[in-house]
Amino acid sequence: MQAKILKTYGSSILTICLILGAGCVKTDRPQAALSFAISADIRGFDPAFATDIRTGKMMTLVYDNLVHFGESTNIIPGIAHSWKLDAKGTRYTFHLNTSAQFHDGTRVTASDVVLSFQRVLSPAVGSPQSWLFNRIKGADAFMDKGAAIVSGLKNINDSTLVIELEEPFAPFIQYLAMPSASIVNAKKVSSLKENPAGSGPWILLDWQRDGQISFKRNEMYWGSRPKAKKLLFRILSESLARMAEFEAGNLDLVDIPDIELKRWKSKNTWEGRVVEKDELNIWYIGMNCSRPPFNDRRVRLAMNLAIDREKILSLLLSGSGTRAEGPVPPQLMESPQENPIPFNPEEAIQQLKSAGYNEGIQTELWVAGGSEMFHVLEAFQSYWSAVGIFVEIIRSDWNVFKTAVRQGKPDLYYLDWFADYPDAENFLYPLFHSQESMTKRNRYSNPMVDRMIEKIQQMLPGKERNMLIEETHIMIKNDVPWVFLWHGRTHTAVQPWIDGYAPKLIFNAERYIDIHKKEL
Amino acid sequence: MIQYIFKRIWQSVPVILGVIIITFILMYIIPGDPVVSMVGERFDEARIQELREDLHLNDPLWKQFAVYLSQIVRGDLGTSFITGRSVTSDLMDKLPNTALLAASAMFIAVLIGVGIGIVSSLRPNSLLDRGIMIFALAGISTPVFWLGLMLALFIGVYLQWLPPTGFGGVEYLILPAITLGARSAAYLARITRASMLDVMNKDFIRTARSKRIPEWKVVLKHALPNALIPVITVIGTDFGSYLSGAVLTESIFGWPGIGRFALDAILKRDFPVIQGTVLFMALMFIMANMIVDILYGVIDPRIRMERNASAD
Repeated sequence: MQAKILKTYGSSILTICLILGAGCVKTDRPQAALSFAISADIRGFDPAFATDIRTGKMMTLVYDNLVHFGESTNIIPGIAHSWKLDAKGTRYTFHLNTSAQFHDGTRVTASDVVLSFQRVLSPAVGSPQSWLFNRIKGADAFMDKGAAIVSGLKNINDSTLVIELEEPFAPFIQYLAMPSASIVNAKKVSSLKENPAGSGPWILLDWQRDGQISFKRNEMYWGSRPKAKKLLFRILSESLARMAEFEAGNLDLVDIPDIELKRWKSKNTWEGRVVEKDELNIWYIGMNCSRPPFNDRRVRLAMNLAIDREKILSLLLSGSGTRAEGPVPPQLMESPQENPIPFNPEEAIQQLKSAGYNEGIQTELWVAGGSEMFHVLEAFQSYWSAVGIFVEIIRSDWNVFKTAVRQGKPDLYYLDWFADYPDAENFLYPLFHSQESMTKRNRYSNPMVDRMIEKIQQMLPGKERNMLIEETHIMIKNDVPWVFLWHGRTHTAVQPWIDGYAPKLIFNAERYIDIHKKEL
Repeated sequence: MIQYIFKRIWQSVPVILGVIIITFILMYIIPGDPVVSMVGERFDEARIQELREDLHLNDPLWKQFAVYLSQIVRGDLGTSFITGRSVTSDLMDKLPNTALLAASAMFIAVLIGVGIGIVSSLRPNSLLDRGIMIFALAGISTPVFWLGLMLALFIGVYLQWLPPTGFGGVEYLILPAITLGARSAAYLARITRASMLDVMNKDFIRTARSKRIPEWKVVLKHALPNALIPVITVIGTDFGSYLSGAVLTESIFGWPGIGRFALDAILKRDFPVIQGTVLFMALMFIMANMIVDILYGVIDPRIRMERNASAD
């Protein structure tokens, strides 16, 4: 009788498995839409709140800007087909494309541009991105003193716009290509977070929070229309899950995590299908320059001399970066030098001795918890201890870490910086100008460097500016406020059925215009 | 019975209040500043202060608590610092996803766990029994994230029978449900076996057998209901915890549920979302426990009798 029960149970389980199994037949791939993965959900579609890269990437699909970033460091026309800067370098005149229209069919006019920029400055909106436009004449009065308009933002007529700055500011034209400078439909700003109102090449189809975001091609797009019809961004927080989806053919592109790189590079099937790209970023260890022991340049230099970055890059990071020579990535300099601080532990010991630290140094290195670089930091730890710098690694979550760095708490911290726009100024002012560094970062202050950076901000692009950038770069490198580590290199695996993919230097230059699936 | 249910609801009020107070205080003790996650890299100190004012983060603690409590009473869990969306509506969006996953995982766990538990108890110490128990031990000891990744890899990538991750139709549900339910299944198998063995040695089973009642009837009608009390407890508490979100499973499979929602909020110090989800999770747990208690009465008349006696 017991055997009967066993049999009945066994066969019923088998039946259920068969029924479930019937639904699990191999599906035909690839799917119709171009599919990508992002690691977490976005903040919404309001450009005024696009502070992170993921959100910025989505902005550039549904909105247009006056100008856009090109493939490299160049600026290309957007809503503005041409523009002129006056001799003083403060007055921009933009001529807008008359065929540009929003997704609802209304024309994009200069007054939409004025309103879009004014929104970002408006205290009522409370955008964290107001720094983009606060150099426009009258911005302060508008933000703090209740002026009704920003006097430096003028729509001459529907297709002509004038922007006047308080003083010359070279990176301004690049600011205009950033996600928060997207142009929104002035009549539809009430629910931008959920319902983007732009004129971009893609139209939002569906946004399932923490699930996926999909777009369809804007068939009425005034510029060059995307070749693909649909885009799908799946939100997958685990890098291994993303790799699994890619291998199953459900994603068309995927960034290969460093730890997986060796395996992928050794696979013959992927030869020629892994695209390398040198990123505009830098990984570094910030040293608090305002108090001992790191207020002494010799100690900071010793920190740099003690580690063999070349070895770490090749052995631990499978070549996913290039050694940083100083703060500015080589792509942003006219004649980048090849003269990084060498690996020289003896010299490091000498520097420490001359600084009076014969007994060695005890200190702490702060790291944000999710960092996948933990094994690398342990390698640093052992390099430093060999010269007498004993570093304890403090791991905390991202928020605690960021708060501590802002307050100047850690002696040492491991962090990165990704470019907002492809100009060297983006690697100088926000990181090394005392106004920023003393309040938010590692408390580095050099009045000379401050003045040079301010000059770089005001000079128009050209030979002279490039030279000043290089001088500033070298001066900062000589001050060694950081341990300069490396500039990242991403490896993107591309499915064989994908055509027209070319990596872009800046994240929001990718508008998915040329990429498409081959006819198989 | 109804009286008893009301009594249980009334008893859970202090628990809920305790949860509210503790999460609220914890939020303000843990280091980290919610504003840091909101502002990006190039925001100046003055704007940060303005933002803190706007979010009432500079108000005294008691005032913030009073505001929060009055919101909760009105069923409003506040709005997210990061997305600006209502926490209540976000939770309601995600609840069906989590409930679906929880129910499927529980279905698999009960089907397999209770089933093999009974089978195992019928032939104690046989080869089959030992095999099943080793299987169950492995199930309990397997970390969820490992099982999830392995299933995604083998079934999703190598065999391509099911999509490795994602959210959509039934085909997306199977792997996360197995991942989430495996531990419960293994645990249920052990509990069911132990409980069944205990009951099968009782006098009333011998009596039933001596009455020549067919063995399947003895097992399913006489033994099983009596062995179910500990099993129901496990099902109830596990289901309660599944309903409050399965952080690991949801993260691995990209399942847009409450667990992932909570994890994300914790990483970003999104106070209203953390408070809201914790409170919600506590409610789910209390409810699951209450239902278990009520089920005890339904399954076992002795418990019902006792209660009625004490209620009177």
